[in-house]
Amino acid sequence: MNTDFYIKSYCRIKDNTVSLNDSVLFNDASKSFIDFIKSAYKNQNTKYPKFFKMDNLSKLAFLAADVLLKNENLKLENDNNIAIVFSNRASSLDTDRKHQESIQNKESYYPSPAVFVYTLPNICIGEISIKYKLYSENSFFIFDNFNASHLLTYSNSLLSSNKAHEVLCGWVEFDGENNYEAFLYLVSKTGTIKHTEQNIITLYNT
Amino acid sequence: MSKGVAITGMGIISAIGNNVAENYHALINGNKGISRVKKIKTNHVNDIMVGEIAFTNSEFEQQLHLSSDNNYSRTAFLGVVAAKEAIKNAGITDINAYKTGLVSATSVGGMDMTERYFYDYLENKATQKYIEGHHAGDSTQKIAEQLGIEKSLVTTISTACSSAANSIMLGARLIKSGLLDRVIVGGADCLSKFTINGFKTLMILSDTYNTPFDENRKGLNLGEAAAFLVLESDAVVQAENKTVLAYVKGYGNANDAYHQTASSDNGDGAFLAMEKALKVADFTPADIDYINAHGTATGNNDLSEGRAIIRVFGEHVPDFSSTKAYTGHTLAAAGAIEAVYSVLALQNNVVYPNLNFETQMKEFDMTPQLELKEKPLKTVMSNSFGFGGNCSTVIFSKEQ
Repeated sequence: MNTDFYIKSYCRIKDNTVSLNDSVLFNDASKSFIDFIKSAYKNQNTKYPKFFKMDNLSKLAFLAADVLLKNENLKLENDNNIAIVFSNRASSLDTDRKHQESIQNKESYYPSPAVFVYTLPNICIGEISIKYKLYSENSFFIFDNFNASHLLTYSNSLLSSNKAHEVLCGWVEFDGENNYEAFLYLVSKTGTIKHTEQNIITLYNT
Repeated sequence: MSKGVAITGMGIISAIGNNVAENYHALINGNKGISRVKKIKTNHVNDIMVGEIAFTNSEFEQQLHLSSDNNYSRTAFLGVVAAKEAIKNAGITDINAYKTGLVSATSVGGMDMTERYFYDYLENKATQKYIEGHHAGDSTQKIAEQLGIEKSLVTTISTACSSAANSIMLGARLIKSGLLDRVIVGGADCLSKFTINGFKTLMILSDTYNTPFDENRKGLNLGEAAAFLVLESDAVVQAENKTVLAYVKGYGNANDAYHQTASSDNGDGAFLAMEKALKVADFTPADIDYINAHGTATGNNDLSEGRAIIRVFGEHVPDFSSTKAYTGHTLAAAGAIEAVYSVLALQNNVVYPNLNFETQMKEFDMTPQLELKEKPLKTVMSNSFGFGGNCSTVIFSKEQ
């Protein structure tokens, strides 16, 4: 299998900081996640009103993807065959809890369709695909921990079998205000960082 | 590298039967498994119909010889039952004789127990064991334990209603790339208030029997089920002189990039998934003998899928039907349930009837197969489309 691929760019949102290729783009330590992600959205000039109805996991994944893909200057009129392969530990648990509470609350029973639609982890992939018109292959895996080896094998397979030209992959976890993290990277045929398990782990940990 | 991906075993439990033989019997006799919900106390009991499995959780406990302190969700019970049947059907006695992985799909996970005990967790210690059983990966781990799969790739896919189709696809690719010799692939989802209430708010649940591809369709019936297939490499098939039930010939996945929960008007994602699967199989549309459609009987799906089928097949749409009228929509398990049905169709050379159909849709003039039809089948295409725009197609064939 051809494994001559590169990590073209990477983005991280963690600890109230947004960074792209290890340059910090935005930081605001004083805020709760909800306020922080809203400030980051404004700061990054995202201008996508649908952002405001997304759940926390989608906001996190969407903004990280947007920061990374904006930097790629994609031509949206072209068909950009970028596959999306995400993973996390808590699935859509944060929103699951909200939906769960709304159907167990006897006094104010109201399951909201706007909440229910986000009770699946892969909805955030849909949100990114809608914005960037990505009709590409996509999957969401659930693992106990960040699994560089699986992401490496899966994206190499997609690229070497020509199912995608590039792969946006990584880890997007939201399990409560103080437990969130997005680490996304774009695997491509060009770039400077070799696409190896060790490099993925190193980037993830720095 | 293995060129072929052989299916050598199958197991299933659904509202129309507790094993492969019972499911097939119901399919060819037109027996549907849709009824009023019995095992879940819901305010909607008279507004919805479901595909529910008869066994209670304690009956499953006995069947699987589990002690009473187990923390199995119903998803896990269903998954273990179906996976065990698949292993037995494949004649596997030593699961670790070959590099064997497990890819299991679910969207509900342990939600059934969470909603039952949510408010007791703080006070009632006896219920707390179910907290660990909540997450999507738990049922997969339990299936792996029950099958004795050690130290190998065990993973869960959660991409809504295309999850199990994606499990099959990942399993096939793991075999083709030579990473594993054998992969157990499939999915399990039980009924829960979580999904009943959620789909109800989206106003896509029918208050009567679901009617796929009918002009007056009112929505879907939720169902619970699990199904697993044993995929093996050419090398294992040769070494063990295995009987091959069918092959996974093609697969494709695409995003519809349209809406979180609705399919695009022209079925862009579905169209791309079918096209990609044909390409992987090296088939033309004319090579497909039967399409087991996603056909959930929602207004949106059947129109979008129908248009996508016409875009792929043009004037020559093969026989197609949806089996959701039998089982209900079994969400993350649906792709595996319908994979088993597709293989059974190939083995027995039958096209299942699309039950409950009365009125032709006005948007196009293609009509699903309405009666059981016997004809030689070489290939079956199976569609599964999920929320988040995740669309997948798998093609099964008799010959490699």
